[in-house]
Amino acid sequence: MPQSIVTDDLDAVLHELPTLSVEQTAPRRLKVCIKAETLPALLELLKGSSGYLHLSAISCVDWPDTEEFELVYHLWSYEVKQLVSAHIWIPKQPGRFVSVYDIHAPAAFFERDIHEMFGVHFEGSPNLEPFILTEWYGPPPMLKSFNSRAYVEETFQWQQYSPEWLKELEAKGGGIVE
Amino acid sequence: MSQTVIPIHQPSADHNPDTDIACRTVEPQEKNLLRRVIDRVADHCRARSLFILHYCTGCGAIELPPTITSRFDSERLGIQPMVTPRQADILLITGYLSVKTLKRVILTYEQMQGPKYVIGMGSCSINGGMYWHSYATVKRLQEYMPVDMYIAGCMPRPEAIQQGFLQLMAKIDRGEGTAWKDYYHNYNTYLGHQQALFGPDWHTPTDVIAEARHYDLLSDNTLGEHTDLLAKFASEYVTHPIPSAKAIPRSTS
Repeated sequence: MPQSIVTDDLDAVLHELPTLSVEQTAPRRLKVCIKAETLPALLELLKGSSGYLHLSAISCVDWPDTEEFELVYHLWSYEVKQLVSAHIWIPKQPGRFVSVYDIHAPAAFFERDIHEMFGVHFEGSPNLEPFILTEWYGPPPMLKSFNSRAYVEETFQWQQYSPEWLKELEAKGGGIVE
Repeated sequence: MSQTVIPIHQPSADHNPDTDIACRTVEPQEKNLLRRVIDRVADHCRARSLFILHYCTGCGAIELPPTITSRFDSERLGIQPMVTPRQADILLITGYLSVKTLKRVILTYEQMQGPKYVIGMGSCSINGGMYWHSYATVKRLQEYMPVDMYIAGCMPRPEAIQQGFLQLMAKIDRGEGTAWKDYYHNYNTYLGHQQALFGPDWHTPTDVIAEARHYDLLSDNTLGEHTDLLAKFASEYVTHPIPSAKAIPRSTS
């Protein structure tokens, strides 16, 4: 195990909040699990006192067994060059959470993306219009409950195939290269 | 050429369209023969000067630089890239088509002037390829626009693309590269497939029905239940009032 990367500043921040667990997963990565309602406070504190200025991504995981969404906020510090991943869990129903757009402006895009792919509603997010899936009318497609294969079988038809075509190709000197 | 030019002035009632300028009655066979000879000459020339639209989807784009530049040099076949759809002859679909891209491809295809040829390149445009179970990827390109030729492979090598080009040229030279007419003949079917993906209010700025009438390619399946929806949603985009499928007399050609 490498030397702990929890600096004094970070330690002070983590002591201010009811933290569930802190785990170092890589030489420069820290996994912090917290309660959902304390996340905005954590981001605020990290930004203010420890220099974690860059919200590089928000990822979302759908856990079908526990009926929960796991949201992971990845924060990078340019001063100490470390990544803090803040994990929170929110119930799938009603699937609402607060936007952190007022703390980190890039969150608007991540939240919009998660909203269309998972259906999570972020209160206070500036724009939750369809972002990539502008031609999509179905349910949020990244949910585990969405069966992509069944959707494809229902929506699209398959190409006809005839083995005779390969014979035609072989007669012309082509075919499959072994 | 099979396109007829729309007369600028309306012919008077006693005008016989089967007479030439000297009022000599032209035999229908003679007219057809002349037309066929001109068609053959035009096809022969056309096959030797083809422009590919410089538009790439998916990963097949990476095979085109060697195909077009000095290594394989498709210009010796008379095939070059062209920057605008209005001046291009070939639309090359070079890989997977997402539903979103398909929308743009249809817009592009309709802007191209006939005769135009579509080549589906790579497994993905044939049956979805490695994206066969993806909700976002179109499986069969020929449902949405008439395809002249598919080149299989993931990805096809430049040699295969050259071979495909040669076959397409031979096909055009024989006068068989007429798949583009099918878009006008069966516009109702193609539009129906498009509407299944994009919703019933889907329309393009191109007035395909008026073009079909201009090319004299109106057939039984040009108008139908799907084109009827255009009148509802696309009326401001088309120059002519859209006739209902029931109202228009169909030509037998």
